[in-house]
Amino acid sequence: MISRSATGRNAQLALRRQCCAKPTNRRGLAAAVSGSTSFSYDSADVGGVKVASRDVAGPTTKLAVIAKAGTRYQSAPGLTSGLEQFAFKNTFKRSALRITRESELLGGQLNSYHTREALVVEAKFLREDLPYFAELLGEVISQTKYTAHEYHEEVEPIIKISQKKLLTNVSELALNSAHGLAFHRGLGTPLYPSSSTPLTKYLNEESIAEFSTIAYAKPNIAVVANGASQTDLAKWVGEFFKDTSSSAAALTSEATKYYGGEERIAHDSGNSLVIAFPGSSSFTSGSSYKPEIAVLAALLGGKSSIKWSSGFSLLAKAVSAFPGTSASTTHFAYSDAGLLTIQFSGSAAAIRSASAEAVKALKTVSEGSISKEDFTKAVALAKYRALEEGQNIESGIVATGSGLIHGGKAFQIDEVAKSVESVTADKLKAAAKSLLDGKATVSTVGDLYVLPYAEELGLKI
Amino acid sequence: MSQPSLVNFIVKRPWLSKFMKPLSNWYANAAGYRKLGLKADDLIPEESETVLLALKRLPPKEAYDRVFRLRRAFQCSLAHQLLPKEQHTKPDEDVEYLSPIIRQIEAEAKERDDLESLSLNKRK
Repeated sequence: MISRSATGRNAQLALRRQCCAKPTNRRGLAAAVSGSTSFSYDSADVGGVKVASRDVAGPTTKLAVIAKAGTRYQSAPGLTSGLEQFAFKNTFKRSALRITRESELLGGQLNSYHTREALVVEAKFLREDLPYFAELLGEVISQTKYTAHEYHEEVEPIIKISQKKLLTNVSELALNSAHGLAFHRGLGTPLYPSSSTPLTKYLNEESIAEFSTIAYAKPNIAVVANGASQTDLAKWVGEFFKDTSSSAAALTSEATKYYGGEERIAHDSGNSLVIAFPGSSSFTSGSSYKPEIAVLAALLGGKSSIKWSSGFSLLAKAVSAFPGTSASTTHFAYSDAGLLTIQFSGSAAAIRSASAEAVKALKTVSEGSISKEDFTKAVALAKYRALEEGQNIESGIVATGSGLIHGGKAFQIDEVAKSVESVTADKLKAAAKSLLDGKATVSTVGDLYVLPYAEELGLKI
Repeated sequence: MSQPSLVNFIVKRPWLSKFMKPLSNWYANAAGYRKLGLKADDLIPEESETVLLALKRLPPKEAYDRVFRLRRAFQCSLAHQLLPKEQHTKPDEDVEYLSPIIRQIEAEAKERDDLESLSLNKRK
């Protein structure tokens, strides 16, 4: 007979051994996680570099360097794309391969992308690896070699492929064309160089290296983290961003002015129509922010936010009669301007009828004949979108970084909600009326024989 | 594939380099490639991935000059002639232009091999 106490003890030991005999290659989760659940960013200035962080509790961190070097600020076509592709390539300290392998070993993910205003170099990783990735980002922006062979073997082919990709994407073409019409230079520059841009004339490793010294200069960047404490971040940024150039020659772009107009591009692989109006600048820009435009975008809508229903939005109702078309309203907000776009895609004949309906819907808003219920729904949706954008790690980081480098403020979620709530039906009506009275932007891509002119839609150009 | 060489070993020892220098100059001239207008790096065999990649990475001007030298040398060789004396490669022109790139590519490949066969010591 085995005594009970003996088995009990053995079982205890076995259990204990089991839990102690962890495979040696297993990593523990981040241990003591400090942090709060606040969604606001703390910002500071560390040795000339703007630093903001949001200490959300959790085992992962996202760290990004946001440079004021988007397509709006590039000094020649394609430089932003080139600089974006050169992120995490050979540096004076280590090779691109080593960077990749080391971050793989730590479970990190590296990424770089650009918007019209910002160039973002970012890393996602476990919270305890903050020093390593802070050092890596500091190195990438100040010590990259910009070698000729990397440009020819890795950067240039990708830019060429992205040009081809853009050429087949009708809706991207239409949006780029609308931006070009609305803002001409600066914000009007296409997000990716189009296939007929004479890149060889402007783009090589030397011009990119030269652009990088200004683009990644201290006054031009912000370091934003999500899931790191402000003190840790400030400490490591202070240590690893010392070598960043502090050139005073900032990239500038003229204040954006809205022009408007019409452009028609024949295309064989799809149809897209974009109707655009001047919008509001982003929340972080301060005074020129107009929340009623966000509400108007929600009211016009197009895409339903719930399943199995066309939704309450005016465009969804207008378009539902034309199966095969889709309409969507997007508000692109930038630091000193915005663009409210209504985009249609589908068959040419359906777009023709649907766009006429959409303009009618916009006219009803400007006449003030919208139901109180729809208005309430639109305000709620606009508020939700604004808050979600702030809460969303990705867009929150970019919004905050852009806000900081443009001399505005960090994205503060509570204030956004308040300002969206303050919109009244009268304000909305006035905003819609001013849009229709001003010049519109219409860009049409696809079967031009069928697709309508702005004149036929009843819009002023 | 850069050429095997004892250069580093010899250069580090001044007495040895003093002794070897006249010898190497004599050898380079006697090898005859300079009389065909070539440089030492033109003689590196091209039939390897590394050298092919290095040739692609040459700056356009260097690549053009290399092809020019090779064609001129072929022509001389076919005609069983040497270049006139003033067109011979001068010792100071006979510099490495391809080997540094080859060494760099070899270092990259070595680093890749090292990283691929790496064993990890976990943080405690």
